[in-house]
Amino acid sequence: MSASTETGSPAGKTWKSKEEFLGCVILTDWILLVILFAVLLGSFHIHYMLLAGDWDFWIDFKDRRMWPTVAPIVAMCFAAASQSFFWTRFRLPIGATTVVLALLVGEWINRYDNFWGWTFFPINLVFPSALIPMGFWLDIVLMISGSWLITAVVGGLGWGLLFYPINWPVLAQYHQAAEIDGVLLTLADLIGFNYVRTGTPEYIRMVERGTLRTFGKDVVPVAAFFSGFISMLVYFLWWNMGKWFSTTKYLEIEEV
Amino acid sequence: MNLTTEKAAGVARAGEVDTIVNYKPAYITMGVMLVFYVGIRIYEQYFGWKAGLDSFAPEFQTYWMNLMWTELPLEFVAFCGIGGYLWKTRDRNIDAVAPREEMRRILTLIGWLAVYAFSVYWGASYFTEQDGTWHQTVIRDTDFTPSHILEFYLSYPIYIICGWGAFMYAHTRIPQFAKRISLAFLMFFAGPFMIFPNIGLNEWGHTFWFMEELFTAPLHWGFVFFGWFALAVFGVARQVLDRVIELSKEYEKDALAL
Repeated sequence: MSASTETGSPAGKTWKSKEEFLGCVILTDWILLVILFAVLLGSFHIHYMLLAGDWDFWIDFKDRRMWPTVAPIVAMCFAAASQSFFWTRFRLPIGATTVVLALLVGEWINRYDNFWGWTFFPINLVFPSALIPMGFWLDIVLMISGSWLITAVVGGLGWGLLFYPINWPVLAQYHQAAEIDGVLLTLADLIGFNYVRTGTPEYIRMVERGTLRTFGKDVVPVAAFFSGFISMLVYFLWWNMGKWFSTTKYLEIEEV
Repeated sequence: MNLTTEKAAGVARAGEVDTIVNYKPAYITMGVMLVFYVGIRIYEQYFGWKAGLDSFAPEFQTYWMNLMWTELPLEFVAFCGIGGYLWKTRDRNIDAVAPREEMRRILTLIGWLAVYAFSVYWGASYFTEQDGTWHQTVIRDTDFTPSHILEFYLSYPIYIICGWGAFMYAHTRIPQFAKRISLAFLMFFAGPFMIFPNIGLNEWGHTFWFMEELFTAPLHWGFVFFGWFALAVFGVARQVLDRVIELSKEYEKDALAL
């Protein structure tokens, strides 16, 4: 096949006209953005569901200790990597928001179509955690500071601290107390008991334990602060992971 | 959308146009994939509950194992066929590719990448999380459950085939990817590809712990590790854009003014 043979274009010219060039650039930019969105969606989703998934899947897993610790730390990985790419290469402060939006698109489709549509769990048992305001926060800190160092420290801490408050408006109603057959439990627990799974938290003993309550009974702030601390460290690491995956290095064929 | 320019009279045959970009094949492929997966999802909805609960039942063999024994050989043939075709029809005079032809091929590659990205969504997001809800609801008695037959042995091979096609297209037709191996492109294809062999670890582990008590169990972290390599899409995007800029120097100011 002599695919390199070309007819009808000026020698050495890529484009026939400025209009052709601009039309192609605009269209292809959009397609590249869709490609990035879909790949980040798939990659982030498999990462998040297999590192924080159980806390994100079920309302009775959304406790005051493990959920606000695990979910923000795990989510920070892709937010930092995505910021690294979009900010360093394009000066676009959209990396964190884009990637959490992508994750949530994948999650909502799944919770409706599969958790509810195939295995018949009610949506109020399986809705995903909110993350978008955390994405806004991280992007705004990067945009204003222009520094990944400040974003790691200020943005990372805020990322962990914001998680529980932004989810609280939806979650609060499920933490109402109920007494069922003489047992005190939350509505979230009650929903969970009515839909027994292999991952029912009491069954696998992933229930919140009491020791942290010695800190003035306020488990959430301690968990959120710890989560923010680890998120800072994760940000440093994954900013550089994002840089590393942005490599334009080539290998000689003999090396492979 | 196609961007076309009429060829100079006397050079081109009547009605022939010199198309620089044509994403229609990519749109059609994604449309076909969407229809296929919606069809598969409907099949799953019905036969998952009707015939997918007991792997020792005859109907399980009929509706699920037969599906798996059909899809696996077809996928292997598609993988070999696409790679073989692209290699066989490779440009053997890659140094002589004119700029316009090179741009046309780069844009075709972007179409391939769009199809790959779409298939990654279905495999890594849609069917993988679906697997979580199925296995926390229906206790598995086999490695080849309905959700696995569609996740591991259908949606994963399909994205591998799409990634393989994109990689081979670039390697056989685009000068910057033909003479050397792009590290980012290699990781972008090979990382998600390695998720498939990692099923071996997963299923080996599930012979000890057959229930999906925790979806976040360390046994599953191999999928996470290889999934990270899809982030190499960053490097691939940079390499493609760098070359587009090099080939479009004359209109750089127009692009910046957008």
